[in-house]
Amino acid sequence: MPAPANCSRIFSKELKPHVTEPASSPASVRTFDRSSNAGSGDGKTTVSPMSVIAARSNDAGDFSSEEHSHELSKLHGVKESSDFNDSNWAFTDSLLSLDYESSRDSSAKNADFNNEGKSMCDVKGAPIVTLNFNNLDNVDGDGNENDNEALVEEFSVTKRNKGLCYRCFKGSRFKEKEVCLVCSAKYCGNCVLEAMGSMPEGRKCVDCIGYPIDESKRESLGKCSRMLRRLLNELEIRQIMKAERFCEVNQLPPEYICVNGKPLSFEELVTLQNCATPPKKLKPGSYWYDKVSGLWGEEGQKPCRIISPHLNVGGPIKPDASNGNTQVYINGREITKVELRMLQLAGVQCAGNPHFWVNEDGSYQEEGQKNTRGNIWGKSGTKLVCALLSLPVPSKCSILCGERTSSPVSKRMPDYLEHGIVQKLLLVGFGGSGMSTIFKQAKILYKDTPFSKDERESIKLTIQTNVYSYIGLLLEGRERFEEESLLNIKKNQSDVLDSTGTISKKKTIYSIGTRLKAFSDWLLRTMASGKLDAIFPAATREYAPLIEEMWSNAAVQATYKRRREIETLPSVASYFLERVVEILRADYEPSDLDILYAEGVTSSNGLACVEFSFPPSAPEETVDTMGLHDSFVRYQLITAHARGIGENCKWLEMLEDVGMVIFCVALSDYDQFSTEGKGCVTNKMLASRKLFETIVTHPTFEEMDFLLILNKLDQFEEKIKQVPLTRCEWFDDFHPVISRQCSSNNKNSSSNNASLAQLASHHIAVKFKRLYSSITSRKLYVSLVKGLEPDSVDATLKYAKEILKWNQERPNFSLSDNSMYSTEDSSFSFTC
Amino acid sequence: MSLSQPKMSVAELKERHLAATETLNNLKQRLNQTRRSLLDTDIAGYARSQGKSAVTFGPTDLVCCRTLQGHTGKVYSLDWTSERNRIVSASQDGRLIVWNALTRQKIHAIKLPCAWVMTTAFSPTGQSVACGGLDSVCSIFNLNSTTDKDGNLPVSRMLSGHKGYISSCQYVPDEDTHLITGSGDQTCVLWDITTGLKTSVFGGEFQSGHTADVLSISINGSNSRIFASGSCDATARLWDTRVASRAVRTFHGHEGDVNSVKFFPDGNRFGTGSDDGTCRLFDIRTGHQLQVYCQKHSDNDIPPVTSIAFSISGRLLFAGYTNGDCYVWDTLLAKVVLNLGSLQDSHEGRISCLGLAADGSALCTGSWDTNLKIWAFGGHRRVV
Repeated sequence: MPAPANCSRIFSKELKPHVTEPASSPASVRTFDRSSNAGSGDGKTTVSPMSVIAARSNDAGDFSSEEHSHELSKLHGVKESSDFNDSNWAFTDSLLSLDYESSRDSSAKNADFNNEGKSMCDVKGAPIVTLNFNNLDNVDGDGNENDNEALVEEFSVTKRNKGLCYRCFKGSRFKEKEVCLVCSAKYCGNCVLEAMGSMPEGRKCVDCIGYPIDESKRESLGKCSRMLRRLLNELEIRQIMKAERFCEVNQLPPEYICVNGKPLSFEELVTLQNCATPPKKLKPGSYWYDKVSGLWGEEGQKPCRIISPHLNVGGPIKPDASNGNTQVYINGREITKVELRMLQLAGVQCAGNPHFWVNEDGSYQEEGQKNTRGNIWGKSGTKLVCALLSLPVPSKCSILCGERTSSPVSKRMPDYLEHGIVQKLLLVGFGGSGMSTIFKQAKILYKDTPFSKDERESIKLTIQTNVYSYIGLLLEGRERFEEESLLNIKKNQSDVLDSTGTISKKKTIYSIGTRLKAFSDWLLRTMASGKLDAIFPAATREYAPLIEEMWSNAAVQATYKRRREIETLPSVASYFLERVVEILRADYEPSDLDILYAEGVTSSNGLACVEFSFPPSAPEETVDTMGLHDSFVRYQLITAHARGIGENCKWLEMLEDVGMVIFCVALSDYDQFSTEGKGCVTNKMLASRKLFETIVTHPTFEEMDFLLILNKLDQFEEKIKQVPLTRCEWFDDFHPVISRQCSSNNKNSSSNNASLAQLASHHIAVKFKRLYSSITSRKLYVSLVKGLEPDSVDATLKYAKEILKWNQERPNFSLSDNSMYSTEDSSFSFTC
Repeated sequence: MSLSQPKMSVAELKERHLAATETLNNLKQRLNQTRRSLLDTDIAGYARSQGKSAVTFGPTDLVCCRTLQGHTGKVYSLDWTSERNRIVSASQDGRLIVWNALTRQKIHAIKLPCAWVMTTAFSPTGQSVACGGLDSVCSIFNLNSTTDKDGNLPVSRMLSGHKGYISSCQYVPDEDTHLITGSGDQTCVLWDITTGLKTSVFGGEFQSGHTADVLSISINGSNSRIFASGSCDATARLWDTRVASRAVRTFHGHEGDVNSVKFFPDGNRFGTGSDDGTCRLFDIRTGHQLQVYCQKHSDNDIPPVTSIAFSISGRLLFAGYTNGDCYVWDTLLAKVVLNLGSLQDSHEGRISCLGLAADGSALCTGSWDTNLKIWAFGGHRRVV
């Protein structure tokens, strides 16, 4: 072991090869080593040929854009051929962004100019170096710097001069520029990337991001200019233009559009824009809309288009909507002269100022009359007439699709909403709390195809492997039972006979034949070595008959009857073991219920998420438009595996953008124990509580709402009959006063046990609520769930949605929130 | 009788296990004591006694010359290509972006199936990128493959098998087919990308591996069979890919999670950055700690180190901190010579990752303020 002093010497020696190595790059970190060895200098910088920047900023506007692009392409060429290894960062930057100077203090500028000038010379054949070389050649650093400052000042005075770039104050009005969609600032090709950054909302100055666009520029949304095409690559252009068109802030504000005298709401605009034949190029303004015939026009004007009829948009149509004076009415609107002319040419009798009722298909009748008098579009010439009078004609698809679009369910989600905000729900819980069941349930509830074909295939393999491991556990139990009963027999016999001991090979009901025994031994060995996963999915077919034989074996059945004594066998095992023969067939296809029951289907290691939106509720409930809006909001349910969520969990902070934490606890855990890493046995309920505390106190979730899911209520109801809740020390103080209460109050309740389960579950809920409010002094939302029942999970997730909605609306209610958000609290009687 | 016998032996075994653990801890303590007594000096002390002086920085020597804007979430990881000036960055917005560092252009924007990405790496040839995160899968994207109809690049290979999040990944130098990952399941894994299978697993249940999540790995640049890993168990371990069964060496010293390990350019030592706010330099041949890099703060609140990188000569150590500071350490004298966090164009959030260009000409930092910044030397550096 060399002494540390030596280490240090070795260390410094080993730095040297780098030090003496010729620095191929003037701008590399390597130069530092040279500097550290070369002793001290006087700190002065030598003046070198002047830099590009200085030259540039002095001759404003002499460059044509062609020259710029030429330089750029040249630069690209160099870079692409990759002999630009010793890239001089400062140099390329000065070409691309001229704000370089302004961002640093003047002394820095000075030094930079000198240095860049030098490095400029390293790059072969850069033509611009010579441009303004002469007039700067003899100026010393200070003078140059002053010049620059003066220039900058001068420009800032004369800024907003027509045609100049808003950033570098150069160029002419003939030079191509990009315009900000919000503030109309214009930037030349050199500055546009600097001024607009990465354009997350399209072409907007960095300062304008987040502001709605200038409506006069709506036409140009998503239309890329030639200049941008030159500066950026295709992928970027596509992304920017997509962002520009679809980002939410760039959408038409609904209140700018007035239909029949009523400003639209968000949902109405969405309806309008997503109907089968929407109004073209919708601009802010006032419009009238005839819901029966689908006629659409600007306020006070003749109709300009026939859009989908029966849209629930805007107010009722006014008689003077199109400002007609013919005294002929269509659907309650006085029509214009042009329209009257058209009707006459179409052969409609218009004498006597009739009031017509026109349907979307063009059939018309007089008001108050029953029979249809004809069809406006029946005559072949009508459309030609309309074209001549520049009146709208119905598009084919509007007639065809009319019926379909009127049903609200088939409405397509607008594109930009798909990219919009997603509400995230984090689902966590202690292992075995059934959160994966809830996750799978959500998938089955809200997805059209919950599991793809591949997924089902892998789920099938998982289930089959699980079943083998259950069988293994069962066989393990069988061995134990056999041994025990043998021992008992022996004991009894020894009591009686007191000698010999030769009867060891006595059979018990747990004994199996040699062939099965061999298989059993082999299976147990494989399990012990942890290689079950590797062998089984593949070997399923081979062993299926053997399993069948085994399952029908009396010994195994006897063991199965005592399955409660095998602690390691999970409770779901019986669900699968009952159907073991069917499941282990090669053509087995798991049903949704099988998947719900199966363990280890959701990626047990790490994180899984499912995105969904709640289907719109039944029509009679969607009287208010909120219901419609709901179906547009997307939710993402994220499950994270509890293992690894410790005191100092690093990755929980990655989930800080979730809207709510749903914590899952299995009610039936109160008498279960788990062995933690060091071999100490803890009650699972207490382990859950510990995890709950860890997560609640985690800084990431400081201000977040928590929903506690008390899961496995069904199992709990069964268990509470046999095992008292006080088995878990946390619930020591649970002394229900059942006996009296039952006889008096619960006559009409179904059974005593149900009420006991209710009391117990509420006791647990209150325990958690108290714990939560002692930590955060806020309220904990609680929900009792049976994970295997779809309705129960659906109700809980909708409850979560409501909580999120309340939180969004909470600022609107300045009143205290207590009355609003009261959840079923301690309204149940229990003694503490 | 046959039933009670194993019970006895279990109790006995437990006792013996306890005794053995105690002996082990005692031995460990003695080892540490001996190490400390042997450490009569550190690099800084020796360098000072030799009359060395620290590197000095002028205000223009290291400047931010590019800001790469485009992510909408926190940037978690970045990596440079070994040849060309490309950077791949991974962010919480669920995208990998491949940048041209010179022009700031985005060459690829890859939408990830799982948004919670923690690490990304370029392959040595620059043809593909790997990334991993909370989904416990390391995904490989071939940059040359054609995009699907939505314009997304398809995953070309999924390396699944970890039982915890993937915190770190790095390609084996000069091999596009092998990759080492570090994971929250306390193991590191060497993968064969062509088959998608594990070649070897380092650590885990039955082996003398890390006892907590692995947070970072770094492969020795001069001997690609050696790599180091840093973990939440406050140790760094050295591994030989040929001997997966046990760690070559374990390096104690840190008092918090080791967030970042990086091999020194010469391959004989490596640096670590930790939650305890210090960076340390360890020698892989002696197992000694060579130097502690710790800046005293006035309020005794030392921010954790998130990521470190060495300059190409090793004279400079760049360290990012959770409070947005990024110190440039002189490794020889253990002095902070510059704080990038105090410069004009610095990040507004935690610096989460940093990396040096392969030729050493520039440093890239990624931050929770969603931006990446490239720092380079303000021209030809004068001798001071």
